[in-house]
Amino acid sequence: MKKLYIVVVALIAASFVLSACGTAAPPAADELKIGVVTDVGQLEDKSFNQASYEGGKAAAEKLGATFDVIVTQNISDYKQNIQTFVDQGFDVIITVGFLIGTDTAIAAKENPDVKFIGVDQNICVDEQGAPDATFTCAGDAATLLPNYQGILFAEEQAGYLAGIVAGSISKTGTIGSVAGTSLPAVVAYIAGYEAGAKSVNPDIKTLTQEVNPDPAKGFNDPATGKAIAQQFIAQGADVLFQVAGLTGQGVLEAACDAGIYGIGVDVDQVQTLPNLSKCIVTSAEKKLKDTIQAVAESAATDEFKAGEVFYNAASEPPAIGLSPYHDLESVITPEIQAKLDDAFAKMKSGELKPPRK
Amino acid sequence: MKARLRSYAGLMLVPALSILLALLVASVLIIASGLVGTEKKVNLLLPLIAYRSLIVGAFGNFKGIANMVVAAAPLMLTGLAVGVGLKAGLFNIGATGQVLSGGLAAALIGMQVADAPVLIAIPVAMLGGMLAGALAGFIPGFLKAFTGAHEVVTTIMLNALIQLIVSGLVNDVFRAPGFSFARTAPVGSAELTGLGNTTLHLGVIFALVCIPLSYWLLWRTTVGFEIRAVGANPTAAFYAGMKPRRMMILTMSLCGAFAGLAGAIEVLRLGYYPAVFGTGIGFDGITVALLGQSNPIGIMLSALLLGAMRAGAPLMQIQARVPVEIIDVIQGIILIFLAAEIVVRKIFRLRTAGVGAGELQTITRTYGEKVVG
Amino acid sequence: MSVAQSPPPRLQMRGITKRFPGVIANDKIDLDVKAGEIHALLGENGAGKTTLMNVLFGLARPDEGEILIDGNPVQIADPADAIARGIGMVHQHFMLIPVLTVAENILLGAETMANPIFLDRSEARRRIIELGKRFGFELDPDAKVETLSVGWQQRVEILKALYRQARILVLDEPTATLTPQETVEVFAVIRRLAAEGHSIIFISHKLYEVLEIADRITVIRRGQVVGSRLPSETNEDDLAALMVGRQVKLAVDRGTSHPAEPVLTVENLKVKSDRGQEVVRGVNFSVRAGEILGIAGVAGNGQDELVEAITGLRRSTEGVVRLAGEDITGWTVRQRREHGLGYVPGDRQKYGLVLGFPISDNLVLTQYYKSPFARGIQKQDAAIEQWAQRTIEEFDIRTPSWAVPAGTLSGGNQQKVIVAREFSRDLKALVLDQPTRGLDVGSIEFIHKQAIGKRDAGTGILLVSAELDEILELSDRIAVMYRGEIVAVVDGRTANKEEIGLLMATGGRAPAKESPTGTSSQPGADPDTIRGGTS
Repeated sequence: MKKLYIVVVALIAASFVLSACGTAAPPAADELKIGVVTDVGQLEDKSFNQASYEGGKAAAEKLGATFDVIVTQNISDYKQNIQTFVDQGFDVIITVGFLIGTDTAIAAKENPDVKFIGVDQNICVDEQGAPDATFTCAGDAATLLPNYQGILFAEEQAGYLAGIVAGSISKTGTIGSVAGTSLPAVVAYIAGYEAGAKSVNPDIKTLTQEVNPDPAKGFNDPATGKAIAQQFIAQGADVLFQVAGLTGQGVLEAACDAGIYGIGVDVDQVQTLPNLSKCIVTSAEKKLKDTIQAVAESAATDEFKAGEVFYNAASEPPAIGLSPYHDLESVITPEIQAKLDDAFAKMKSGELKPPRK
Repeated sequence: MKARLRSYAGLMLVPALSILLALLVASVLIIASGLVGTEKKVNLLLPLIAYRSLIVGAFGNFKGIANMVVAAAPLMLTGLAVGVGLKAGLFNIGATGQVLSGGLAAALIGMQVADAPVLIAIPVAMLGGMLAGALAGFIPGFLKAFTGAHEVVTTIMLNALIQLIVSGLVNDVFRAPGFSFARTAPVGSAELTGLGNTTLHLGVIFALVCIPLSYWLLWRTTVGFEIRAVGANPTAAFYAGMKPRRMMILTMSLCGAFAGLAGAIEVLRLGYYPAVFGTGIGFDGITVALLGQSNPIGIMLSALLLGAMRAGAPLMQIQARVPVEIIDVIQGIILIFLAAEIVVRKIFRLRTAGVGAGELQTITRTYGEKVVG
Repeated sequence: MSVAQSPPPRLQMRGITKRFPGVIANDKIDLDVKAGEIHALLGENGAGKTTLMNVLFGLARPDEGEILIDGNPVQIADPADAIARGIGMVHQHFMLIPVLTVAENILLGAETMANPIFLDRSEARRRIIELGKRFGFELDPDAKVETLSVGWQQRVEILKALYRQARILVLDEPTATLTPQETVEVFAVIRRLAAEGHSIIFISHKLYEVLEIADRITVIRRGQVVGSRLPSETNEDDLAALMVGRQVKLAVDRGTSHPAEPVLTVENLKVKSDRGQEVVRGVNFSVRAGEILGIAGVAGNGQDELVEAITGLRRSTEGVVRLAGEDITGWTVRQRREHGLGYVPGDRQKYGLVLGFPISDNLVLTQYYKSPFARGIQKQDAAIEQWAQRTIEEFDIRTPSWAVPAGTLSGGNQQKVIVAREFSRDLKALVLDQPTRGLDVGSIEFIHKQAIGKRDAGTGILLVSAELDEILELSDRIAVMYRGEIVAVVDGRTANKEEIGLLMATGGRAPAKESPTGTSSQPGADPDTIRGGTS
C-alpha cells in the first residue's frame, strides 16, 4: 500500500521535473515543418484523411522536413487545431475537407508566411479576403490569399473513364450509379460516368439515385446502398458505380452477390475491400496521395500556386485515372483499353472535356 | 468551517484518485501506442511527454487557456444538466437530445435576428436554445411523473427521436440554399465570434454564470431544498408535504434548459447548424457530473479538466505523437473508476462512503420504483 | 479419564473484541451457551449485540478473542462456514423468497440432490415434514411463503436452520412482529428446540419476554458485558437499569386525561390498497382533544392505508376526514399540516427523514418554506441553524452538531428528530404511527413522555402501533382494527391484554383452528403491505 503511494508521488514528481526541463528539443529554426489537420473522424479512413497524411508525410520525407498530424474530433475544433500548428512554427499546413475551408481561409489571411493547402476545398472570399458566407465570391482568392491553395479534382474525368469501362462491358445495356449525397464532387463523377458510357454506347440506359441529402447518412448506410443496388439489378443493370463512401460498400456487395460488376471510387477499392475483388472491375481514382505530395513539395519552392487548382489528367503526376484491374484484367479487352487510352490522351490535351454536372 | 473543508476533501478524494488511476492505466496504452506509431519503439517516458504536452497545450499561453475554457463551457452546462438531475434522483441521459434541440432552436432564432444588434441577437438565440432544451427535458419529466416511465428509457428514446427530427428539419425544411451540403442559414450577429485572435467568446460567460446560479438554487433556495429532498428520499419529501411529481418535471425541464444552452453555445459558435452536428458533449456531461459529484463547483472543475485535455490534445499529437483517441480513453477510464468507486476505495484502502453518497445509487436504482406524490 | 467431567459448553465466545474506526463495538465480550440452554442477549440498540452475532456467524472478523464450539477453538470465515459448524441464524427481517414454496426456500443453498442435476424434492419434503412434526409445527412444504403469516414465516426460517442441522440457533428479535398469541406459540417451539438439546441465543429488548423464556440473561451495554442474571434472581427494573445504566421508569405515568371536543373525526372511511383491494372498509372514529386513541391490530389489517388517508398521502374512495370540524378529505398533505395535523410516520428512515441531510434541514423538512426559515425563495440558513440548536437542546437529541447528517444518528435520536419536528409546533391532532419501533428503552421512555405531554396540552392523538404493550400503556381508548374494520373500542385503562390479543387475531369471532399453512391465524393480513422493520 505504502509503495503504491510512493510510486504515484514519484511519477508526479518526475512529470514535473520533465515539464520543467522540456523534453522536446526545439527544432532548428530553418527546418521545414509540415502539418496535417484532418477532417472530423479517424486518421485511417482509407480516404481523404489517410491520403493527406500519407501524401504530406511522403513530401516531408523527401524534403527532410518535420511532419506531424492533428486529428480533429469535433467540427468546432478546426480553428484551434490549425492555430496549434501555426503557434508551433509550421511552414506548410494541409487541411482536409470542405468544412474546414472557412477556418483555413481565416488562418491564411492571418498568417501570410505560412502556406496552406486545402484538400477538397473551394475558396470563396470577399474583396477583403475574408470567407464569404453569401457566396458572391467577389474576391480573387489567388491574389488576396497567395499562401493558400485549394486542391480540387476533375472527378468528371475519372468518372468518364469509368463510364467507358461500364458502357463497354455491359451486356444488358443498362448501368447504374449510386450517389451518397449530391455534393458537387459526387455529381461530377456521375456526370462524367454517364457521358463516358454514352461515348461507347449511345443507347445505354443509365440509372442513378441519391441515398440521402444528409451526408452523415448518405455516406454511412451500407444497408440502404445494398437495397438501391438490388433495385437497379432488378431493372437490368449489370454494372454499378458507387460514389457513396461506406454506403457504396453495400452497393459493391450487392453487385458481387448478383454476379455482376462493380466500380469503386476515389481510391483503389480492391485494396480497401479485398473480399470483393472478384467483382470490382476497377475504381475511378483521384490520385490523392500523389497530388497532395506534389503540392506539399511545391510549397517549399516558388512553384506554389494559389487559389483553387483543379487537378486532372493533365496534371503532373496525373491526378485522376483508373485503378489496376487486378483479378478482372481479362474483362478489359485491348479494344476497351485503346478507347480508355485515347480518352485519357484527349482529356490531357484538353480536346475532351466531360461535363461536371 | 474545518468540518466543511474536510467534507469537501472527502468528496474530492475518489474523483481525484480516479483521475490518477486513469492516467496510470492510460500510460500503459500510451506506451503501447508508441509501439505501433511512427517511432515503433518502447518509450517509457512517452506518457510523461504526452501529459506534459497536454498541460502545456492547455496552460502554456493565453490561447491555450482560452481553448480550455471554450471547450469546458458547454461541458459545464451538460454537466449541470446531468448533475442537477442526479441531485433530484433523476438520471438524465437525454442531454444529447436536449443539446441538439437547443442548438437547432438557437440556429433558427439566430437566423431571424441575424441583423439585430449583437447584444440582442445573442441572448435571444440563447434563450431560444434554453427553452427548446427545457421542452426536450420536460417530456421525460412529465412521462416519469404521470406514467412512471423511467427517465433513462425515455431520454434514450428521445435522443434518437430528436436526432432524426432535427436532421430532417436541417436537410429539408430549413436547408439554406447556395450551400453544397445541408446546413442552415448563417446566424449573422448572433454568432459567437472569438475575441481577439483567441477562441474565447461571449457564450462562456453564460456558462460560467450558470455555475454559481445553480449552486445558489440548489443550496440557498427552498426550490433547491425540495429538489434535493425529493432526490435523496422522495417518500420522505412527499410525507413532509412536498410534491415530488412536480419537482421531477421542474428539474428535468431545468436540466434540459442547461443542455439546450450548451447546444446553443456550440451552434452559435459555428454560426450555423451543420448537417452533421456530431457532438459528444451530451454524454461527456455524465462524466463531468459524476467526476464533479453533482456539485456545481465540482462540475466546473471537472469540465475544465476535460476542456484542458481537449485544448491540450493538438499539442500532444505534435509533441508526443500520441493518437488523440487517448483522450477519449482517459475519459472512459475515469468514468469506469468513478462507477466502480468500490475498486478505487479498495486500491487506496479508503473507508466506504457513509450516507449521502447518492449519485451512483440514483444511476443504479432499480426500475419500476413507484412514483409518489 | 475416569473422573466425571461436565462437558464443555456448546458455545464459548472468549474476549471477543471488534473495533470499528472510532468505536469499540465489542470490548472483550465473554459468552457461554450450554447445550439445551436458552440464553437471552439483552441490550439497547447499538450496544453491540448485532456485531457479536455477526462475529459468530462469520459476517465480521473479531480483532481479538476466540470462539470455541464444544471446547474446540474454531475460525469462522463466512456464513457458509458458520452453517457447516451448526450455527443457524434467524434474522429479524426474514430472508425468504415470497414467491417460492416453503420447501424451495428451505432447500435454497442446501439442495438435496437426487443426482448431480436434479433436486430430490420428495426426500426434502419428507425431511421438512418430519422436522416440523418433531418440533410441534406442521408446515405444508408446498405452500407459497407469500401466503403465510409472519408467525409461520418465522417458523420457516427456524426450519431452514434446523434443516441445515443447526445446533446453535440465534433468534434476532423473533417476537417483534407477532401477536401475543403467536408469541406464545413461537415460545413453545423454542422450548421444544431447547429440550431437544439445541442451544438458543435469544435477542430481544422486551424485558418480560426475556424473563419468561430465558434460562440465563446476559446484558450488554456499550460493547461490554455489564451483567449476567438468572431470571429467578432479577426483575424488569433491574434489567432495564443494567441495560441503560441508570434507573428508568418503564411505564410512564399517564396521569388523567381531560378529553374535550373531537378534533379528528373519520366517518365511514373506505380506502384501497396499492393492489386495488379495499383494505379500509368503512371506518368510523373520532379523537378528542386531550386524549390518546390507540389503534391495535396485527400489521396489514389496513392501518397503514388508514393513516395515509388521514394524513393525505392516499386518496380515500369514500367517507370523510374532519380536522377540528373542517372537511379535509380532499386536502393536500401540506394543507393538512398547516391546519394543525402532525404526523410521525411508521418507518422513520423511509418516510420521516432525509438521511443524507443535516439534522437542521430535517428539523425544518415540513416548514422550510415559511418565515423565518425562508424569505421568498431564499432559504434562511441562520434562522434554521438557530432553530435547530434550540430544538436539539429541548428534545435532548444526542449529536455533536446540528450539521451532521441525520443518517449518522442512532435510531432513537433519529426518531427524536422527527418527534421534535412534529411536536414543536401547535397541533390540533397528531398521528403517531409505530412511534417507538426498534427503539431502546431510554428513547421509548422519552417519546412516551412527550406524547403524554402533548396530550395534556390539548392535542388529540391517534396512536397506531403493532406493539400491544405500547397501546395499552398510553391509550385512553383502544380501537381494535381487524380486516379493515374497527371491531371493538375499549377503555384503555381497564383493557385486558389477552382480550385485545384475541380481538386482534380473530376480530371477536370464535378463533378458527390454526391450519398448517397458518393462513387462518392471521386472516386479512396482506403480506405485501406488511412493512419491513426499521433499524
